[in-house]
This record gives sequence, C-alpha cells and structure tokens, in this order.
Amino acid sequence: MYGATVDSIADSMDDAGKLAEFEARIARGEKIEPGDWMPEEYRRQLIRMISQHAHSEIVGMLPEGTYIPHAPSLRRKLILLAKVQDEGGHGQYLYHAAETLGATREEMIDALLAGKAKYSNVFNYPALSWADIGIIGWLVDGAAILNQTMLAKCSYGPYSRAMIRICAEESFHMRQGQDIIITLATGAPEQKAMAQDALNRWWWPTLMMFGPPDTDSPNSAALIRWRIKTKTNDELRQAFVNQMVPELQALGLTIPDPHLRYDEESGNWISGPIDWDEFWRVINGDGPMNRKRLGARRKAHEDGRWVREALIAYAEKHVADG
Amino acid sequence: MTDTQWPRWVVLHQETEGDPHRYAGSVHAPDAEIALQNARDVFVRRPRCVSLWVVQADRILARTAEEFALTPPLPLPQREEGKKESYYVFQKVGQKGVHQHVGEVEAASAEEAMQWAWDSFNHKNALVWWVFPIGEVAKSGPEDVEVYRIAETKRFRDQGEYHTVATLRKLRERKERNNAR
Amino acid sequence: MHADLKAAMVAKLLAMADDELVLGHRDSEWCGHAPILEEDIAFANIALDEIGHAILWYNLYTDLVGENRETFPDKLVYERPASAYRSARIVELPKGDWAFSMTRQYLFDAYEMAMLDGLVASQYPPLAEAAAKIRKEEIYHLRHTRAWVRRLGLGTDESHQRMQAALDTLWPAALQLFEPADSEAGLIAAGYVPDPAGVRRAWEGQVREWLTGSGLALPPLSDTPYNSRDQHTEHLAALLDDLQQVTRQYPGLTW
Repeated sequence: MYGATVDSIADSMDDAGKLAEFEARIARGEKIEPGDWMPEEYRRQLIRMISQHAHSEIVGMLPEGTYIPHAPSLRRKLILLAKVQDEGGHGQYLYHAAETLGATREEMIDALLAGKAKYSNVFNYPALSWADIGIIGWLVDGAAILNQTMLAKCSYGPYSRAMIRICAEESFHMRQGQDIIITLATGAPEQKAMAQDALNRWWWPTLMMFGPPDTDSPNSAALIRWRIKTKTNDELRQAFVNQMVPELQALGLTIPDPHLRYDEESGNWISGPIDWDEFWRVINGDGPMNRKRLGARRKAHEDGRWVREALIAYAEKHVADG
Repeated sequence: MTDTQWPRWVVLHQETEGDPHRYAGSVHAPDAEIALQNARDVFVRRPRCVSLWVVQADRILARTAEEFALTPPLPLPQREEGKKESYYVFQKVGQKGVHQHVGEVEAASAEEAMQWAWDSFNHKNALVWWVFPIGEVAKSGPEDVEVYRIAETKRFRDQGEYHTVATLRKLRERKERNNAR
Repeated sequence: MHADLKAAMVAKLLAMADDELVLGHRDSEWCGHAPILEEDIAFANIALDEIGHAILWYNLYTDLVGENRETFPDKLVYERPASAYRSARIVELPKGDWAFSMTRQYLFDAYEMAMLDGLVASQYPPLAEAAAKIRKEEIYHLRHTRAWVRRLGLGTDESHQRMQAALDTLWPAALQLFEPADSEAGLIAAGYVPDPAGVRRAWEGQVREWLTGSGLALPPLSDTPYNSRDQHTEHLAALLDDLQQVTRQYPGLTW
C-alpha cells in the first residue's frame, strides 16, 4: 500500500524530537503501524529479524519435508504434511510483515539464496531418523513457541499480529512432536533408543536457537528498549530448559548434558556449558547441512523461474485490468 | 523481468455472516483468480471463513493517525460533477485492533476518498485508515463457503486432538511416586 | 452383499485408494521445492486432501473385509509389495517438472470429478457418502489445476513446450483410468459404480475443451497401452522403498 513518505513528515520535527516521541509511544505500549515515523535503526533491525524468522520457516520445511515420504503411518503422514504446510504459511505471514517495512520478497529471497541472510541455525542439522521428526516438533517448535509468545507483544503491529496468528497454529506442532516421542519412548526398545539418539543430537542445537548469551548479543539492548523483544536470550533459554527437562525425564529419556543439575533455591534446571564455537561455525556456513539446505532452495527457485514468468506473461496478455 | 515473486495482494477475511471483513495479511499472485485461491490456502487452513476479498497492495491508500496529526487533511472538496468511484474504507481502532471494514465513500480520487473517510469515520481511537476502489477488489463467491468449511474437518490441526498433556502428567506423577519410594 | 459383488467392490475400493495414496505421495514430494511459496502451501494442501481420500477408501475396504480401521489401512499401505498394489500408472510416474505434475494432477482431478459425479448416486450408501465428502474437496482441486493448466499452456513459449511434452507423456497413461476391471460389470449392473465408458465421455468432453483452450494439442491416441492394474512401472517399487523405509526397518511396531 502507499502513504505519505517519511520525508514529507520529516520537515515538521527535528530528529531528536521525533525519536523521543517514538520512544514515548513505545513506552505507552502503543503499536507502530506502517506509515508511522520510526527510526531507521528500528526499521533495519525489524527487517533483519523478521526476514530471518521467515527464512527459518521456509528452510525449516526441508528436514521435515524430506521425511513426509517416510512417515510410518497414514495418520503421521497427514499430520506431517499439515505441519509443513503451516510452516510455509508462517513464512508467508512473516515475509508479509517485512514487506510492510519496505523490503520486497524478491530481495529477501535473493539474500537468503546468496548466503547473505541468516536463518535459524537449528535447521542446518540433518534429520536422520523418524524420531528426529518427533524431537524437532517437540523441542524446536517448543522453543519457537516460547520465542513467538514473547514476540506477540512486540511493538510493531504487523509483526505482532503475525506472531499471534502463528502462535495459535504452532501449538499443534509441538503436541504432534510430543505424541510421536511418547509413542516411541513407551514402545519397543529400538524405538526408545531411536528417540534417545535423536534427543542426543538435537538438544544442544535447540538450546542454541535462543541465540548467544546475553553478554554476547550486540543487538539485544536496542531490541528490548524498542520492545521488539521483551525477554532476553538467556531468560527464554532457561524457561525452555525448565519446561522440557521434567517431561523428557518422565519418559525415561536422558538429557545429554552430564552437568545438568536442579537448583532447589531458584527452581531452575542449570545447564552445562554450551559450545558456542560450534554455534558460530555452523551459523557462518560450516554446518553439516548448510550447503544442502540452501542448495535445495536455490534449485527450487531457479527451476521455478519459468513458472513464475509464465504466469506473469499470461496475466499481461489475458487478464483484463480493473 | 525484475521481480518474479508476483504482485502482492492484501487479503481481507470475513469470519462469519455479518462480521466485517478484516485484514489477514497478503499473498503474492499474478492475477485475481490465483490470488483468491492462494488466499484460501494461506488463510483458511483453520475455521472459520465465509468470504475472502483480495486487492492489490499498491491500490490501497493508507494513513495513520500520526500522519494526520502532522499533516492534517485538506478541507473537504465541494461535491463536484465528475466521475465518482466507490471506495471501501477500512480502519484500525485501538492498539490491539485489526484493520476492518467500516464503510464506503464516493470520490473522484483516492486522496479525496481519504478526506471523506477521515471526516465520516472519525472514531476517537482510530489509528489507521485505508481507502481503495471497490472495483479493484476480487471477491470469493457463495459457492466458496462450502470449500472454506472443509477446514473444520481437518481436526488433526487442532492441538486438542493430542492428549499429550494428560499423558505426560501421568508419567511424571508415576515417576515422582517411584522416586519417593 | 453377494460374495462376488463384495469381491468386486473390495477390488474397486483398493484401486481407488491406491490411486489417491500414490498421487498424494507424489504431490508431497514438492514440499519445500515448489516454484513459489504459495504453491508449496497449495500443493501440500492437495497432497493432504488426497491422502485423506485414500484413508476414506481404505476404511471402506477395511469395513467390507471385516478388519479394524485403527490398524488395517496402515497394514495395507506399509506391508504390501508393489505387485499387490492396484494403482494406475499415471499416479506412479515421478513428479517430473512443474508442468508434468500440474498436468497429471489436472487429468486425474478431472477423472475423479467425473467418477464422483457417478459415485454420489451409488446404490451402496457408504460409497455414496464418502464420494459426497471427497467431491467437496475435489471441486477445489480441479479449480486450482484448471487455472494453472491454462496459464502454463498459454503463458510463455517455454511453459507451453513443457506443458505439451507433459501432455504427450500423460495422455496414454490417463486413458488407463477408464479401463474397467474384469469384475466391474457386476458393480455397474448393481448401480454401485458408474459405467467407466460414461465417465470417460464426461471426462474427455471436459478436458479436450479445456486443454485445447489452453493452447495444447491432444495426442491422437484413443486407447491406452496399459490394461491391467496388476502391473506397474518400476517407479512404484522405488516409491514404496521410500514410503515403507521405516516400517521395513522396524516391522510390526506402533508409530
């Protein structure tokens, strides 16, 4: 949609005044809508965050998408298809939110495929067994729900609304993952072993999903001041661990953290040290699946070019205007 | 061909008969027919919906309350002769509100339509106004209501179908009893 | 139901269910690889619906042979070898390019609508009921694939050529859908299923007009080289290797 440009409003106030009024609006809990004045940094951070989030949904379709053909029952096949379809839809909602800030989908996708844009590191790990699908649903979507519930309160209207819609749909993603793992953990010994093996491989990458420790997060302060985020990485990570540990242990599964201990006083499960070297290695392109994930998306994009062009050609020739 | 992600269409969703259409998001599509199909796939995976409207994003003129405060609207034009078009007016009311259909105005241009919208729909908590020509909107038909209802049959998308909360609670309680022994 | 009629009905249901399952499986292979995000979502939806239809037909089969709906459909799907499947060739073929999959889906959707128009009037009530449910979703599939076939047929030279190549390959395979099984005469006489010759006429009437209007030339073939659904392309075995991968590795378990 189109509206008054930022420049035309700029004339009437000075920058410091506009920023002060903007921050006062945020402090009052107001939602910023497209067309409202915003600092360039706010716009930039949001486009970065939202597009990364969108890319994560799209890339996240791949590990599960490759398992749809192998789903071991009709019901699981249906459910996994519905889940992957939702993820496409969530990517859709998120690209839209970024588009309201002036980014185009073509630019965002080009940046992803060129390896310039980031997406959630967790999807750079391979899905090696059916149990991985259950663990991804339970842990990865469980982590996403915590993050998204927080983001639903964010100050930018379109992102907040996208989050609300996504949160409502995401809850079944986690539940179906739990359902798979419960079936495996209470099933035959080889199924329980499959679940344990998947947990061993996905636990740490999921903890890293919440981002670097607060001390190492350069973007965090601005994001919190402008109520894009309302909780820190470490706070969310702790909430996640507290939620997951008792439930996984109740199934007789072992958390692959030899240093994990329960602290009576705080009521928190304290994790051992996270290997942040691995995190940075993987996020910078050296993970087991980075090349494959992006390669698959690039191929789909390139192979699909003639299709997208054909539909534009048809619309220009055959569809009456207005 | 620079952008092959297709033009963007805003999707407006009516939940039940009598509700106003509300802003759901957008889809990319090469034309209106595909836009309506895509809108259903993206926005009607879950109940409830009786109608979808789509309109190309660049046909919507938008203003926020903040923009009006900084640049107040011009005085209303005289009702002149000349070709008038009907415009839908959508409005977001309240911080947690979603843009929804509030009415129509007649005008010779989008800018004029916005002036009438500002004048006619001036709820004190209105935060965003949209106007766009009714002629630019593609709408689903009554035959689509059945198609949209299909979402109700896909119960596996409902988290209530999975009784994992109860199962895990029972397992935890059993474990705690065993630990206590 | 008379034993012969029951055997014929069971065979027909299995064929219809296998068609939906294999097609749904093929459609699902596009997940994450479609030309644009909206089609990832749309095609996943079509796949979802097809597998849902397969389940409906497998359930009717299960009821007729006196087995349990909770477990038997999965047995049928995950424990049969390719030789025991009764799907048609057209659904087994690999997904190919977007033109191929879209044309295949269109030809199948149009066939299914023509069949369902007959099945909703079936004298066997469970069949009529299931057909009515499925028909609601097929209306949507057909609308989607028709719109795409037209746009790809008339879009650019490249899209046109790909569509023509797809149609040339798929048309003979599509005609197999109308080959009656040996036992089908009894079902037709009892009013349980429509006469395939009539279904084919309805189908051809619709698709010839639509494909021609989409700028495509119809192959001159009027007979299919494929008769029996007992025989399959080599692609079905490979498909089942994928589909049954986990259950073959760990047989007899609950998932």
